[in-house]
Amino acid sequence: MASGNDILKEHISSDYKYGFSSDIEMETAPKGLNEDIVRFISKKKNEPEWMLESRLKAFRHWLTMEEPRHWPHLQFPKIDYQDIIYYAAPKKKTEVKSLDEVDPELLATFSKLGISLEEQKRLVGMQSTIAVDAVFDSVSVKTTFRETLLEKGIIFCSFSEAVHDHPELIKKYMGSVVPYTDNYFAALNAAVFSDGSFCYIPKGVRCPMELSTYFRINTAGTGQFERTLIIADEGAYVSYLEGCTAPQRDENQLHAAVVEIISHRNAEVKYSTVQNWYPGDKNGKGGVYNFVTKRGICLEENSKISWTQVETGSAITWKYPSVILKGDNAIGEFYSVAVTNNFQQADTGTKMIHLGKNTRSTIVSKGISAGKSNNSYRGLVRVAKGASNARNYSQCDSLLMGDKCGAHTFPYIEIKDKSAVVEHEATTSKIGEDQIFYCKQRGIDTEKAVSLIVNGYCKEVLNQLPMEFAVEAQKLLAVSLEGSVG
Amino acid sequence: MTTAEKIGADERLIQGFSKNKAQLPGSKRIASLREQAILDFQKLGLPGRKSEEYKYSNVQPLFKEEASLVNTNLPAANGFSIEQFQLPGLKENTAVLVNGVFSPAHSSLNKLPKGVIVCSLKEAFSKNEKLVEQHYSKYAQSGTDAFLALSTSFAGDGVFVYVPDNTIAEQAIHIISVVTGSTPSLIFPRNLFIIGKNSGVQIVESFAAHALSAKSICIAVTEVFVDENAKAQYYKLQEDSGSASLISATHARQERNSHFDTNTVTLSGEWIRNNLEIALEGENCETHLNGLFLTEGKQHVDNHTLVDHRKPHCQSNQLYKGILGDKSTGVFNGKIFVRPDAQKTNAYQSSRNILLSDDASINTKPQLEIYADDVKCSHGSTTGQLNEDAMFYLRSRGLSTDSARNLLLSAFANDVLETVRIKELKDHLDELVRKRLEK
Repeated sequence: MASGNDILKEHISSDYKYGFSSDIEMETAPKGLNEDIVRFISKKKNEPEWMLESRLKAFRHWLTMEEPRHWPHLQFPKIDYQDIIYYAAPKKKTEVKSLDEVDPELLATFSKLGISLEEQKRLVGMQSTIAVDAVFDSVSVKTTFRETLLEKGIIFCSFSEAVHDHPELIKKYMGSVVPYTDNYFAALNAAVFSDGSFCYIPKGVRCPMELSTYFRINTAGTGQFERTLIIADEGAYVSYLEGCTAPQRDENQLHAAVVEIISHRNAEVKYSTVQNWYPGDKNGKGGVYNFVTKRGICLEENSKISWTQVETGSAITWKYPSVILKGDNAIGEFYSVAVTNNFQQADTGTKMIHLGKNTRSTIVSKGISAGKSNNSYRGLVRVAKGASNARNYSQCDSLLMGDKCGAHTFPYIEIKDKSAVVEHEATTSKIGEDQIFYCKQRGIDTEKAVSLIVNGYCKEVLNQLPMEFAVEAQKLLAVSLEGSVG
Repeated sequence: MTTAEKIGADERLIQGFSKNKAQLPGSKRIASLREQAILDFQKLGLPGRKSEEYKYSNVQPLFKEEASLVNTNLPAANGFSIEQFQLPGLKENTAVLVNGVFSPAHSSLNKLPKGVIVCSLKEAFSKNEKLVEQHYSKYAQSGTDAFLALSTSFAGDGVFVYVPDNTIAEQAIHIISVVTGSTPSLIFPRNLFIIGKNSGVQIVESFAAHALSAKSICIAVTEVFVDENAKAQYYKLQEDSGSASLISATHARQERNSHFDTNTVTLSGEWIRNNLEIALEGENCETHLNGLFLTEGKQHVDNHTLVDHRKPHCQSNQLYKGILGDKSTGVFNGKIFVRPDAQKTNAYQSSRNILLSDDASINTKPQLEIYADDVKCSHGSTTGQLNEDAMFYLRSRGLSTDSARNLLLSAFANDVLETVRIKELKDHLDELVRKRLEK
């Protein structure tokens, strides 16, 4: 565990420590979006015909859609979709057999980010090993521990490889949870997605290590559109981590990802995210627009999906990791900490759709707003007719730091079955002066006291994170809130 | 009307306005408000499915059929006795609206304290021009909602209540709004209540139907101004008959140290939407919003509330309860809005619902929008069924299933009813709820 001193040191030194950009020779598509670009991406990836068809179908549908503007509690200028580069890849060849073939500059970038692509090395000070799929701009650079995983029958590779090597799985599952018609950004993603991770855990296998994807936007003016597909077959278990960073730039960058999770009978998927895209500077300039669609389906009996997210980055976050509880006795969980500072805006939450019998869901959301930011929880709990004995418990708490920020709660609760028991609770408050006073009186200064109290406030969620991430998340919380106490 | 001539509901309403506007009462200023409001309506249009505020209540089918606009002329069908709608103990001060038009023949306003005015809005337009000018259409602004816009354009009558400073009205004022008739109608009663400094008043408004044999839509808007240190209570009792739809909006403005309570009890009516907006414009205000709805058949009841905390040190409390049976649908959408200045706000909200049938459904959306940090705000929402343990306990004491169920349900409803401060009204409501649950 990081000691208090480390956190303090980090406080003083850092604004956004991942703000550097790497000088790597890139191959990019021309700016703009049309059918030719879609074809270009597909060709670059050497995709089969059916994949291109599905992209074009999505693209044509996207043209008929409108940005979701009337309901989110967000304000952002019009996005010029013709001013974005939809494909950027490191020029060196991407099919790498061993680490020696990877561009050393790339390796340096990832090691700077604390992500080791060397299989023998472990994350600093950690005991467990993690398999990493590193995605740099539009392409997957390297997936570690593939062989070890393959011994157990686990497929963990980049999405593009999966399209070639496991077309039957992609055809069967891609778009089954988030169809391209779902929303504006999902349609855009389905048309131009570049790469992402694919993971399949076969029947009865418990994945021996944490799987992880690390996303990095580097090239200026690019959008990142990755797609993740996780399938846990009967009785399988996997814990999946996702991390992301981007360089500091004055312009806004678009990130529109799609994550789909399929959990079969008795299977369990645990998905954790620490989202730390560049949030923009103190005056709200720049930053990433994080418009992400994440959804999982508990397809059969006794399946479980659990989302944990720590959202500290991005200028704008628009994200609702959801679970469709289709199988009987299925369980859905959502644990979230969302921190906004300066001019950040977040509209995030979850959807729990109860369709099967005896399904249960838990929602714990902690929002912290500081500076001039706005932080909204927006969540849906729907119990369909016939979903008997559904149970939901939701709790969303907001913490306000300063009088210029806003904290909002928009829960939607739709109940069509009389046996459902649904509870929702929300509170809004600030850090008590008596709490701060108590800490100060024990010799803990204000900033550290705030960090302590905030960490305590978020404990319920942070406890859900795998250990490596929990440490990271704690530090991140402290950094994100730096200077917000006056 | 042939299909070729068929036009949209929006257009029909706008045309209806230009046809009727010459006959609508009020000064030039009122007329210009009407013109502005119809422009607002033109901009807003009837809310569609995509409207976030009307997400769970589909308005469009209500306006599918042509309905005749009932304006300032008292309809012929008024051959009924008002006694059936009066409440014991509340008979002295009764103001009656028939299809949205003030009916002096049915009204009796004998026990009003000195200085208190209760009259028709039409009369107030000419006799109390100054007061009307000061308050009318100030709190319910037509640009914010299509139905407010329609009301401001069309409304020609309603009840005007004025309580001067330092006056306590001991007797409650009972407004009875009756809809009747055999042709589809669209009516616009509009009330304006002005409660002066250090004054107090209790107002009860009942919505009821008499011999109604056609669809009717009532768009009722009430504006309430509660001045400094004043105390006001406003009770709404909705027991329309089957084919009546009601869109009722109450917009209140509270000044410093004032106290305003509302209580909305919905028992019948085909399609009901209640909009309740309270603006806390002064410091140290207190407001309580309570609501109870019991639905059956294919009823639809939608309660929308907005408490707008604009100044510091105010307190608001909301409690809404619903018991839904058969194929009915219920909606609760409550919003607490705390502006940057409104420090030290305490705002609470609670929505509790029981579903009695597999075909009933409830949608709730309790919202918090908070821009100040030194506040205590919370909301809670629960939906469930009767507690099995409680049922078992009562059954083990020898109560039949029905009486155990009724006992638990009336206890559930009582949380709201016990906030009613007029004893006669509370007794009457208890009786209505009891009868209803025993059905």
